[in-house]
Amino acid sequence: MATQRNLLSRSLQAAKSRCRYHQSLRGISSASAPELPPFGYEPKPYNGPLADQVLEKRKKYLGPSLFHYYQKPLNIVEGKMQYLFDESGKRYLDAFAGIVTVSCGHCHPDVLGAIVEQSKLLQHATTIYLHHTIADFAEELASKMPGNLKVVYFVNSGTEANELAMLMARLYSGNLGMLALRNAYHGGSASTIGLTALNTWKYPIPQGEIHHVVNPNPYRGVFGSDANQYAEDVKDHVDHGTSGQVAGFIAETIQGVGGAVELAPGYLKLVYDIVRKAGGVCIADEVQTGFGRTGSHYWGFETQGVTPDIVTMAKGIGNGLPLGAVVTTPAIANVMAQKIQFNTFGGNPVCSAGGLAVLKVLDKEQRQKHCADVGSHLIQRLRDLQQRHDLIGDVRGRGLMVGIELVTDRKEKTPAKAETA
Amino acid sequence: MQRFATRRGICGTGVQRWRRCLSQLAQKTEENEVYVPKIPSFDYSPPAYKGPTAEEILRKRKDCLSPSMFTFYKKPLNVVHGKMQYLFDENGRRYLDAFGGIATVCCGHCHPDVVKAIVDQTNQLQHSTILYLNHAITDFADALASKLPGDLKVVFFTNSGTEANELAMMMARLYTGCHDIISLRNAYHGNAAGTMGATAQSNWKFNVVQSGVHHAVNPDPYRGIFGSDGEKYAKDIEDLIQFGTSGHVAGFISEAIQGVGGIVELAAGYLPAAYSSVKKAGGLCISDEVQAGFGRTGSHFWGFESHGVVPDIVTMAKGIGNGIPLGAVVTTPKIAEVLTRRSYFNTFGGNPVCTAAGLAVLKVIKREKLQENAHVVGSYLKDRLCALKDKHEIIGDVRGSGMMLGVELVTDRHLKTPAKTEILHVMDQMKDMGVLIGKGGFFGNVFRITPPLCFTKDDA
Repeated sequence: MATQRNLLSRSLQAAKSRCRYHQSLRGISSASAPELPPFGYEPKPYNGPLADQVLEKRKKYLGPSLFHYYQKPLNIVEGKMQYLFDESGKRYLDAFAGIVTVSCGHCHPDVLGAIVEQSKLLQHATTIYLHHTIADFAEELASKMPGNLKVVYFVNSGTEANELAMLMARLYSGNLGMLALRNAYHGGSASTIGLTALNTWKYPIPQGEIHHVVNPNPYRGVFGSDANQYAEDVKDHVDHGTSGQVAGFIAETIQGVGGAVELAPGYLKLVYDIVRKAGGVCIADEVQTGFGRTGSHYWGFETQGVTPDIVTMAKGIGNGLPLGAVVTTPAIANVMAQKIQFNTFGGNPVCSAGGLAVLKVLDKEQRQKHCADVGSHLIQRLRDLQQRHDLIGDVRGRGLMVGIELVTDRKEKTPAKAETA
Repeated sequence: MQRFATRRGICGTGVQRWRRCLSQLAQKTEENEVYVPKIPSFDYSPPAYKGPTAEEILRKRKDCLSPSMFTFYKKPLNVVHGKMQYLFDENGRRYLDAFGGIATVCCGHCHPDVVKAIVDQTNQLQHSTILYLNHAITDFADALASKLPGDLKVVFFTNSGTEANELAMMMARLYTGCHDIISLRNAYHGNAAGTMGATAQSNWKFNVVQSGVHHAVNPDPYRGIFGSDGEKYAKDIEDLIQFGTSGHVAGFISEAIQGVGGIVELAAGYLPAAYSSVKKAGGLCISDEVQAGFGRTGSHFWGFESHGVVPDIVTMAKGIGNGIPLGAVVTTPKIAEVLTRRSYFNTFGGNPVCTAAGLAVLKVIKREKLQENAHVVGSYLKDRLCALKDKHEIIGDVRGSGMMLGVELVTDRHLKTPAKTEILHVMDQMKDMGVLIGKGGFFGNVFRITPPLCFTKDDA
């Protein structure tokens, strides 16, 4: 329960929506309850198990650590573009997108078509044989990257991508120490837990040499928006906490799980410089910010005017398909060639076909621009709300990655956990 | 798998004999006759392929994909379509798939029931995460748990075998409060930081910190120092615990039949003795069923069952979804509780499409009696391979169970010198004849035969 509350109070992110999104919070009254925009689509009738039955089975078979939203958990059975439907056919506006994952829209016809067609032809053979989908997708993905970022590795999740990135950083640099930001989330496996810096997710196990630097959080950070001072902390860590040489630095440009926290402007440029001087590589975790979500740019790191050495991605890359990727430079990739690096499911025909379809949809439907338009409109309306309601401490983010922080006291910034729930 | 093996041509009488005999892994009738059997007929025509050719793909792979990515065969194969136990290349040529995408395709490529489940669910809902309820994940978890003995009933879904093993290792460490894990030399458990530690073949281990893992002597009946004496090998576990750890360990992980390591069956009597030592030291026993699970061994549904043990944690992937990216960890409620100390969350894990596919796979295995088929056809194939072994010196060992078989090639039966180059030549020959087979083992000299479980006697 506490975990659930933490999650709720920390993040609220909007999915791609074409409509006005009205926010109503408990304790905040509005003249009349707004309605969802009309949507000319009827969901298929649902005859499967109901919420109570599903919940019971979950408790029995899926472990006590599995949590869910809402006092009365929602049984989601169908999705169409920006809407989800529950067991009784009720329509919901999905402003969370399965945690920033459904990028094109639930069951987007183009993506569906690609998945279905490929599933009928060949689901799986592995990369020991050739297949065109993985090559086509890699080429298209690499073309979206700046600089020398052109070698693609396919994996099955963001966690796997960050694991691989960390391995590359350590091998390439020959150093061990990794730097990550407090409040970051990079994965749930034993090693990525080390990079992750939110205690909710960190199990008490050895996590290797990781240094967590002060978070350049403009709202709560001790230096406000002053990137220089935050960057000094990084230098401090390197000089005093490491041998002077590090393996690498990893950051999300807008922290997702951590609450849509944008890094103070100019921060990454300064830090990348420090890290590279210490022999390390710079990793951009684009699992949530990638693929045009920020509106202004295709990749989150571009908003800070930097070019990383390794980029990791997942979530939106496949509109919900289990897919992740790491893109890096040939020099770093060559170091990986010392041994065999193989992923059985990674780059399988169906996920690659789905991924390629996603890239095409994003381009064809100009989703990045759309994120900028709708996102700025949304943020403006939220800021208006913020003027009227003290409970809203901060409105932040860009494009369709938006956060609203609720506080019971604007000066103290006391988290309004119960109110958010 | 040997990346470094070159593709030189082989000359010599050894290969000539080999060419004559090894086709379809079938027997030839007479010593001097050159007999090239055909793969069984199959009433199906693949759709015409109009996509990029092998050369174009290879070029793109070199440009855009990992330089450590490798292919089989002198002329890499562009596989574009699959149907049951057959694969088709860009020219529509049909091949018998005796490798199953590395022991992964269990029901058969594009099995209609599995494809239907995937397509139906994809049209309904691809992804929402477990923050919301959905019946696909619970139906599958229920069905999967019912296949496991004892108190093994709590399921965690991941996206790969590596993720599953990572989670299993973390749970063992959390549950016991200890860090040391024991695995077997020649094992393969994954490629992330923790699982790379448990993996024990230098080819797969990068030069990074891999702490807390101890590798025990491999109970390999063919190459191991104690032959088939399982209990003698198990003493090494005792030794490791007493001398290499604090006396208490987090756990022990093993495959019931080593896959990547070359289809090495653990010596009889080993696992019960090893499990006993580990449990005495407070550790948990993890069974990696990524390759051996789901009826592949024929005699049992799970590999560990053939050793008469019940593990504390079971990990699975590969065959679980007939090729869809899915993995799972099943354990007891007591052990599962450790994860409540913090939050463990897997965004894609347990998504509706993959779990719907997983459930369809279980149903197909049951309805089409694939485990029994694996047993019958697998035993038949093994007998034929053993007969081949009697005839040909180059076959050092035939081993395995059901449809997880290995054929080890050696240039000298006494010294067991791995026949690294010969095997490549034969693999290529077999491809020319229309049979795709796998390769593994530390020296890369073992044929791995892990076909889709719908393989027939005719195929064999």
